[in-house]
Amino acid sequence: MKKFLAVVKHEYKKIVLKWTFLLATLLFPVLAAAFAVVPALIFSIKGEPTRIVIVDQTGKITPRIKENLSKEKTAKKVEKSREETLKDLTASRDEQMKNVAEQTGETFNFVEYGADAKSIEQIKRELTGKITDKEIDAYLIVPPNYDAPDAKFEFFSRKAGDIVTNSFLERATNNAVRSQRLADANIEEDKLKDLSRNVDFSKTTINEKGDEKNGEGIFAAAFIIGLMIYITLLIYGQQILAAVIEEKETRIAEILFSSAKPFELMMGKLVGVGLAGLTQLAIWIISALVLVGIGLANMSAAGVDISIPDITPLTVIYFFIFFLLGFFIYATIYALIGSMVTTVQEGGQFAMLPIMFLIIGFYMSFTVIRDPNSNLSFWVSIAPFLAPITMPVRILAETPPFWQIALSILLNGAAIAFLVWLAARVYRVGMLMYGKRATIPEVWKWIRQS
Amino acid sequence: MSEQNTTLRVENVSKHYGEFTAVSDLSFDVKAGRVFGFLGPNGAGKTTTIRMIVGIIAPDEGKIELFGERISNASQNRIGYLPEERGLYKKMKVQDQLRYFAALKDVSQAEADKRIDFWLDRMKLSEWKKKKTTDLSKGMSQKIQFVSTVLHNPDLLILDEPFSGLDPVNVEFMIEVVAELKAQGKTIIFSTHLMSTAERLCDDIILINKSRKVVGGSLREVKEGFGKNLIALRSIGGDAVLEDKSLVSKISEHADEREIELAENADAQNLLKRLIENGATISKFEQIEPSLNAIFIEKVKGI
Repeated sequence: MKKFLAVVKHEYKKIVLKWTFLLATLLFPVLAAAFAVVPALIFSIKGEPTRIVIVDQTGKITPRIKENLSKEKTAKKVEKSREETLKDLTASRDEQMKNVAEQTGETFNFVEYGADAKSIEQIKRELTGKITDKEIDAYLIVPPNYDAPDAKFEFFSRKAGDIVTNSFLERATNNAVRSQRLADANIEEDKLKDLSRNVDFSKTTINEKGDEKNGEGIFAAAFIIGLMIYITLLIYGQQILAAVIEEKETRIAEILFSSAKPFELMMGKLVGVGLAGLTQLAIWIISALVLVGIGLANMSAAGVDISIPDITPLTVIYFFIFFLLGFFIYATIYALIGSMVTTVQEGGQFAMLPIMFLIIGFYMSFTVIRDPNSNLSFWVSIAPFLAPITMPVRILAETPPFWQIALSILLNGAAIAFLVWLAARVYRVGMLMYGKRATIPEVWKWIRQS
Repeated sequence: MSEQNTTLRVENVSKHYGEFTAVSDLSFDVKAGRVFGFLGPNGAGKTTTIRMIVGIIAPDEGKIELFGERISNASQNRIGYLPEERGLYKKMKVQDQLRYFAALKDVSQAEADKRIDFWLDRMKLSEWKKKKTTDLSKGMSQKIQFVSTVLHNPDLLILDEPFSGLDPVNVEFMIEVVAELKAQGKTIIFSTHLMSTAERLCDDIILINKSRKVVGGSLREVKEGFGKNLIALRSIGGDAVLEDKSLVSKISEHADEREIELAENADAQNLLKRLIENGATISKFEQIEPSLNAIFIEKVKGI
């Protein structure tokens, strides 16, 4: 027992006292934050103003486009879309990007151009020439029959790939034409706006106990939890693999085996690294809770009504339990692989198998988020190998009955017992084999013999 | 009590791996306070035997007694084992690794720290205490490995090729350290291919080949038992005497002297007398023992 604790302490310190641990611990929240903020930052970088010519033979549309693109109007829009982003946490990335585009408020310089009585072909030729001469950046041709179903608004630009600018102009044009149509049909625009406002669609999930749960934010939180477990299992599994191979390669294993029992050494390693993983996860979760708390306080101060899923202490405990189950399942497999192979490269090839299971578990968590009560969600959240990722996600999305959680813990616990039994047998022989990789029949013999 | 004089007793030990027999009916004793040479060519079964002694693997047949009892956790703590071609944790500080190895032998950290300081000082590596293994030269890390073997003050040291890769100065230094440990009453099992080193260090030896014991006993016994009387001779004249087959069985020419192998039952004194009687001028006449190297080659080839 004393030696076992010595191994645990050694393995724990080996990871936690390294600067890479500190870096990873700090980096994950930073990366997560960056993931949320960087796209917004990128799109908020303003390009140079676009010099544009609008050819409008009717003369009706241009003033409206100009008005839509005016500073005051843009500012108002930006303000509005900011509010919307705050409310709409679950908006898709695509939507968010558009919103961000609105926020940036593209600027346009309108260049005067006397179209007079020139033909469309002549106008196009002249303006295209201006673009190639870099006098202007783009031109838009408003057809005289702007209201006809087949009316075509032609837009030519030096930088047609600039989605942000283009979609901005497109919206402004659309709005302008719509306003003109409304004016033509004698409909008051403000009245229409008032009548076509969105309903307040408040989403509330009711779980099987009949409790109400606010739906917003659940998905994001469940996704983050799934991702966190997935990444931690992946990183710490690889740590185990590397550590086992190092001891085998350097023949430290031989010294260790002459000092303590192989089983003590293997379990000590698993527990030590597991505790290191738990430490990291605890830091992440606590900092996440604090950050969310601060964010929430800020938002309610700003008058935005938002709720996050109620994370009870029990949820956190479940979360750690399933992390540990997952850790021991995957770490044991990695230890087994490490004791069979001779080099890290070889180990990497074999490690594809557990990684595959992890990825399946991760993708399955999307299914679980979307429909936590489906049959599929039930099976994947009790299945060994998958449950450590899918069950916490499911608990967060919608807590299943207790017996399902208990069953999941039981099944995964049994899987661990079996894997440890298996790995212990392979470990004690494999760690002393040098020079060549153990073949499957050999491994099978070790398992049967002892 | 047997512990007083016998540290290790190996009795009729065998180990098989499937069809392959690694060790076959091997018996020997290692006496306390002596340096025991465990010799044999590659693949003879040395490593397997050592692994059984340190309790990493169990023998299929026979028994091994350490300090008068079967191998246990307690007896494991009294052994210091230095495997062949071992390494260290790459990214760990010297001090931390040594502490870990000591902890695995149930040495308290305070005690371990004291001994680490002592041994690093003895090895002249004190300034490397806080350095990582990757900063050490090969010779230095071998010395650190040696320190990890003796840190828990073991009564039995098992050193498998401890000097390979060391420069001659360091080999001499390490031999000195081993001699000190012997003087402290430690028992040392020393496994090597280097017969010259074994000859210098060992009190007793065992030679194994193809899983079996070939010869064993004290160095003197083994050499006498080899039964070859060799004489180094530098002389002018007397060649007729050397052609007498009842006296000389073989002559090999060296640079400026000849190595004479005496015939069975021939006496060196008799040969010397006959040479003088025949008017030979003798500048060197020396009875030489067979070298361990010669015994090794002869015995291993002979089977």
